[in-house]
Amino acid sequence: MSAVVEIQNVTKKIKGKTIIDQISFDVHRGEVFGFLGPNGAGKTTTIRMIVGLMGITDGDIKIAGNSIKTDFEKAVKHIGAIVENPEMYKFLSGYDNLVHFARMSSGVDKKKIAEVVELVGLTDRIKDKVKTYSLGMRQRLGLAQCLLHDPDILILDEPTNGLDPAGIREIRDHIRMLARERNMAVIVSSHLLAEMEMMCDRIGIIQQGKLVDVQLVHDFVNGVEKVFEFEISSGEKAIEILKPTYPHISFELTSSGLAATIQKEDVPLVVKSLVNEDILIYGIHEITKSLEDRFLEVTTEKEGVLHV
Amino acid sequence: MFKLIQNELLKIFKRPGTFVMIGLLILITTVAGAFIKFQSSGGTVPDNTEWKQGLQMENADLKKQMDELEGQVPAAELTYYKEQIAVNEYRIEHNLSPNVDYSVWEFVTDLLPIIEFAGMFTIIIAAGIVASEFNWGTIKLLLIRPINRGKILVSKYATILIFALILLAVTFAYSSLLGLALFGAPDTSNPYLNYHQGTVKEQSMFVHLVITYGLQSISMIMLATMAFMISAVFRNSSLAIGISLFLMFTGSQITMLVAMKFDWAKYILFANTDLTQYFEGQPLVEGMTLTFSIIMLVVYFAIFQFLAHFVFKKRDVAA
Repeated sequence: MSAVVEIQNVTKKIKGKTIIDQISFDVHRGEVFGFLGPNGAGKTTTIRMIVGLMGITDGDIKIAGNSIKTDFEKAVKHIGAIVENPEMYKFLSGYDNLVHFARMSSGVDKKKIAEVVELVGLTDRIKDKVKTYSLGMRQRLGLAQCLLHDPDILILDEPTNGLDPAGIREIRDHIRMLARERNMAVIVSSHLLAEMEMMCDRIGIIQQGKLVDVQLVHDFVNGVEKVFEFEISSGEKAIEILKPTYPHISFELTSSGLAATIQKEDVPLVVKSLVNEDILIYGIHEITKSLEDRFLEVTTEKEGVLHV
Repeated sequence: MFKLIQNELLKIFKRPGTFVMIGLLILITTVAGAFIKFQSSGGTVPDNTEWKQGLQMENADLKKQMDELEGQVPAAELTYYKEQIAVNEYRIEHNLSPNVDYSVWEFVTDLLPIIEFAGMFTIIIAAGIVASEFNWGTIKLLLIRPINRGKILVSKYATILIFALILLAVTFAYSSLLGLALFGAPDTSNPYLNYHQGTVKEQSMFVHLVITYGLQSISMIMLATMAFMISAVFRNSSLAIGISLFLMFTGSQITMLVAMKFDWAKYILFANTDLTQYFEGQPLVEGMTLTFSIIMLVVYFAIFQFLAHFVFKKRDVAA
């Protein structure tokens, strides 16, 4: 896997204030990279720098090997993007909007426009004026607009903002399909954690202009140790029994029994000791931490460090 | 670049406002035509075979007035008398009656002020062409194409010029056609008499009108360029329209007031936009020449364009 987007020590200062502080990461073909952070953390600013809408104070961004700073035209032609809302010309028809943007890239013909319209499912309404479109349709037209020139990199800033569940799902399916089938690199930003969990392969967490963490979604959500919840007859008694055997492990009482943060191999051992002491076991569940929990964990952790 | 201009024209002509502008130009021309046609005289001139004597008497009067005023008013004010006298003498000499039937060319000449409206509409378009993209939020999609910002700005400016040309062409063509329909073609080719630096020259009416249209549109182009610059620098179309229209209506008056007191008035943009002063009549401030004005116009133009490009290229787009 080669990196098509390389962010190298990028810093952005506006009026002496550091908005983005020394961010570095790579995005590869065929992956969906999630850019996660609370409002005002610098997600959109970073995306604006990647597409050249904002200048870079320090560092560089390379798109398919071309610097966006010095080789703007060569770099940006690999990118298709929606920055924030997909604002189109409302007084033009959807089709005219696409013709307008098609004229600005080389080698986009009518066939290509029709193909993209078909792909996003707007064929029926494409001749209507954009002002008559619903938000979901505008979002799809926005997607069509970035796919016209077959970009290698797709950048979507809050793509599911304001969409209904069906619309969100549709966009999500499109994004996954484009990454898998067309081998595009997709960068998505969001503050909706559940969304990112379903959409992304890797996630970078940004907070107060600093990249806090980059991890695979799977690792990020799970970590190495997992939490298992034991549904048992008496939690207090169980803790008494288990504490001596597993002095390093934290056990917690829950409403239905107890929760233990242990590795998978230890589960049968725990069960065995419980059974031996005549504690009734009704069920054992693995509790997957949601991205949200992890996100709050990571951000508060690092925030603690940052504030020291 | 051609495709970019095509895009800009698409965006202008797909908006109803544009057609309202063209409609207004046509409406004003039509109303003016109706007024002239149906006013008491009906646009006809009484046949006056004694016109030569009339002109001679007029000249005598003018000379008398000129002698009286001599020394009391600045020399520049006397030029008007000199011009009238010279033109009248030329008419007598070459047997050109001033009493001609009102025809299409007189009509087009009378309607020259309509160029101001065309200028106003051009300013409105120029003021919006960059600022609107920011208002609509479409600037983001526009600037992430493989086309650098300079080219986009140049294409937008070229579009303004094309739009101005379209408005002028529509105005000229429509007022000519309407004039032809209402007042007919001139019977005899009736030349325009141009007084310039002491001599009178004959000019074809059509050529005269085309030149006048061209010269009149210079101020419109300069103001549109200024509106374009304000639009690109401040991203605010209301500000651009406001300032430009205000200057369009008051600029030359203010300049004239300043010119009465101070010589540096000649460096003001509006002292130089009216190039007709060098072909007919006299310059605003003594010592101004055509070359001087053209240089001033080029300097202003370069400043406007430089500001627009400089700010537009460096701007962080955060709309």
